[in-house]
Amino acid sequence: MMVFRRLFLLAALLLAGATGFGPAQAQIKSPGGKLLDSKESLYNNIYIFKRDGLIIMTFGKNNHYWFESAYDPTDELKLPYMYSRYMGMSLAYAKNVHSIAEIGFGGGRTSWYLHKNLPDVDLTSVELDPDVIAMAKKYFGIHEEGEFRIVNKDGRLFLKNNPKKYDVLLVDAYRGPFVPFHLLTTEFYELAKSRLNEGGVLAQNIEPNTMLFDAAIVTLKSVFDNVDLYQANRNVVAIAYDGPQKRKSEIKDAAEALQNKYNFRYNLVDLSKDRKVLKHPPKDQKPMTDDFAPVEALKAIERHNEKINMYVEEPD
Amino acid sequence: MPFDKLRANGSFSMSRRAVSWHVLLRLGVYANGLAIGFVLMGFEMLGSRYLNPYFGSGIVTWAALIATVLLALMVGYFLGGWMVDKTPHLRLLASLVVVAALYLFAVPGLADTTIEKLITLVGDGSTGVICAALALIFVPVTLLGTFSPFGVRLLLHTTSHSGRTTGTVYGVSTVGNIIGVMATTFVLIPTIGSREITTLFAVILLASGLLLFVMDRLSRKYKL
Repeated sequence: MMVFRRLFLLAALLLAGATGFGPAQAQIKSPGGKLLDSKESLYNNIYIFKRDGLIIMTFGKNNHYWFESAYDPTDELKLPYMYSRYMGMSLAYAKNVHSIAEIGFGGGRTSWYLHKNLPDVDLTSVELDPDVIAMAKKYFGIHEEGEFRIVNKDGRLFLKNNPKKYDVLLVDAYRGPFVPFHLLTTEFYELAKSRLNEGGVLAQNIEPNTMLFDAAIVTLKSVFDNVDLYQANRNVVAIAYDGPQKRKSEIKDAAEALQNKYNFRYNLVDLSKDRKVLKHPPKDQKPMTDDFAPVEALKAIERHNEKINMYVEEPD
Repeated sequence: MPFDKLRANGSFSMSRRAVSWHVLLRLGVYANGLAIGFVLMGFEMLGSRYLNPYFGSGIVTWAALIATVLLALMVGYFLGGWMVDKTPHLRLLASLVVVAALYLFAVPGLADTTIEKLITLVGDGSTGVICAALALIFVPVTLLGTFSPFGVRLLLHTTSHSGRTTGTVYGVSTVGNIIGVMATTFVLIPTIGSREITTLFAVILLASGLLLFVMDRLSRKYKL
């Protein structure tokens, strides 16, 4: 019943408040390795570590670190975090791939990988925190070049003020443990949809272990006709698109065509095998709106019992 | 006062019944101070939920919110102080609180269109967010800010007690502020929508205003 759910929310919040943020995935006590740099920016506490040959960007507080991005300086196309690879699956869903926008730049791994593989594609990455951009440029081998540019702005404002449309929108905006609420509501997704070309798709990186996941996919499903899900280790990449649900063969063919054309390091055809479709959204979860989007609270509460497998299917 | 007797040294004595009413009335003023302080800060926290979708969640939005609240409090303090010396009655405070309530009743319906209109006029940069924060918050917080000077003036009877009276009025308001911030952030925003919370605040203020009117009538009979 809604009453108990709300009481539970309250109790969980008080507990979360007492123990610091709720258990966020990819949060560990200390990443270990050597601290290369840190910056207390307006929005995040950024820590750059070097560990096992990887340079890692984390956002941290109180000895808890949220891993944002990892970079191998000897191999710029390596994507140690699996979800970045699945974000690229969105290309197989889009009718055309001429322009891409990414909201939430982090260490720039996803966007750099895509830019290097598709240098002729117009790629804009939008990031709120100018210090994150500076750190990425300094430690993650990123620089603006050719069709790739970085814009320092709030993601929603960027979409609102830019009437330009894109074939693919990648959304991966986290402030430490949670997504800012105004980037997770039906109004935001409607706005994003209005900035998509015909046949365009939106891909979003979500952590599956908290109620935020339920809320995010329900909200996505309320705006887009279809939501496909790809489990990537401890993250889930949701790909949202309108129109009829794509058949497995359709996606495989598109992935194959792209793979042949661009020869991605992480084979799109292999990745496409992991596709799941949202069959029915989680119960008891309403889409989030600008009026009601308690992201901080949902982040604190873990999903119980229900696994993602309960509401996805693998259709042909 | 019918229940007061003039003592030889010039002070008034009150019957036990009158003392009870007197204490109750004073407590009533403090209770309203709590409620008003609660709504004041609670509404500031809500401000971010109204503004973020239009102006982002950066530090500029918070600066606009905080600066607007402080500006409104400043005006409320000056205005309230001037008003209460002219008209030292609870019913004036009551009317101000009721007007604040009416404003908050109107906010959920009008906020979005107003903000959108402002953005077309001044853009969504710093000017825009400051104008939006003002449109949302300035009027109700100014009205609510008058409580403190009212409370001090109406409750203060002797200079020797002026320190503790002033301290208690501000202290109790601040307790209300704290509860407002915490309850809004940790309980209200996670459970109900921001527009609903605004209406809840409006109802609280309306109740407070009506109570203050009742107390005003009582204070003509019993000493505040």
